[in-house]
Amino acid sequence: MTVELPGERPSAAPASELAGLLAKVARGDEAAFAGVYDRFGTVVYGLVRRIVRDPAQSEEVTQEVLLDVWRTASRFDPGEGSARSWLMTIAHRRAVDRVRSAQASAQRETRAAVTETDYDVVVEEVETRLDAQRVRRCLDSLTELQRESVTLAYYGGYTYREVAALLGVAVGTVKTRMRDGLIRLRDCLGAES
Amino acid sequence: MRLRRTDPHTLAGAYALDALGDVDREKFERHLGVCEACHAEAASLRDAAGRLAEPTAAVPPPRLRGQVLAEAARTRQQPPPVRVAERVRRSWHGVGWPAAPRMAVAIAGVGILVALALGTLLINDQHQLHMDAAQRGQIAAVLNAPDADIMTVHARPHGKATVVMSHADRALVLTTARLPLLPSTECYQVWVMGAHRMRSAGRLPSPKQGMTAPMIVAGIAPGDRMGVTVEPAGGSRHPTSPPVLMLALPSA
Repeated sequence: MTVELPGERPSAAPASELAGLLAKVARGDEAAFAGVYDRFGTVVYGLVRRIVRDPAQSEEVTQEVLLDVWRTASRFDPGEGSARSWLMTIAHRRAVDRVRSAQASAQRETRAAVTETDYDVVVEEVETRLDAQRVRRCLDSLTELQRESVTLAYYGGYTYREVAALLGVAVGTVKTRMRDGLIRLRDCLGAES
Repeated sequence: MRLRRTDPHTLAGAYALDALGDVDREKFERHLGVCEACHAEAASLRDAAGRLAEPTAAVPPPRLRGQVLAEAARTRQQPPPVRVAERVRRSWHGVGWPAAPRMAVAIAGVGILVALALGTLLINDQHQLHMDAAQRGQIAAVLNAPDADIMTVHARPHGKATVVMSHADRALVLTTARLPLLPSTECYQVWVMGAHRMRSAGRLPSPKQGMTAPMIVAGIAPGDRMGVTVEPAGGSRHPTSPPVLMLALPSA
């Protein structure tokens, strides 16, 4: 668990806020659910968009993720990790599921490409930038191979075997770099936040 | 002789990044069920991985908000899991649950019946592909064991499981058919309950055409119970819902 420093993260929603919202969502509180959307919709959509790329599909997946949150909020268990981690796990899995199943049925390409570039604005709010900067700084502290392994998997939605092929290194090497990289990232973020 | 497989420990990073294929993930989650330290490490790495989403934040199209809220308003929510471990534990002992229906047949020449029960699964190419040689060997050993028992048990609300158990091998092979499909946020998890403790035997593989590939459950003792529950994807350390199926394993 990270320690929140209120002075440093003025309005980035702290983990406990999401946990509080989830408890209400679990009881069917639609206003609390709207709160989850308003606070975390940009992070979810941004991640999904980064992995899925196609705007129309990204919208669909974002909707699936938030409906999962609505349906399964009662199953969030604080003993198993932070609320934020729970939410981002759902988002990442849904996005990765989408690109892998699209890969499996390659004709998916014919899908109408609805471009919504007008709204594809990168969030430039101050608090988001601060958090993002911290993550980038910590990513920079990884070795190149660690960083490439971690980012290809996380943002690219690739399996570790695919990452190994992309980087031209042994599968075993990628496995250990992913683990070492995340450990270093975890320790860096823990120390910085 | 095969080379020893790498320590599943090293998969924690790839697991946290959702970078495992189905087979590796199932294997690793089985390992998580029996390794407390790995469970904690995987959770902390997943937390770190989740932070990587921060630099990607982007504003979704404004209309999405209304769509999501409207869709939620007409979607039924899931009930909370049964959190009191003791209640689940008790229900596993039969309180509130009828004695698990069981049809046990002791077989001398196991081959034919087992082939009937499992043959279709074993010759299914997709299932074969997703299983490594070591697993296939273990499964074959149980199916061909001279003391193999074959049992079927019905699941709730529908579906069934077929179990072939060998006392000599202290192992069983489990397949299921027509269990309700789960969303990707949930999984079926297999549990073995002995006199003193309950342990996870891992997640059921994802079904292909309604059937799950044979799964080996080792370390069975006479009189154990085997059950399957619905858990959040990734599995739980303890069952959090009543079993959808349960089987009292024969004691001799």
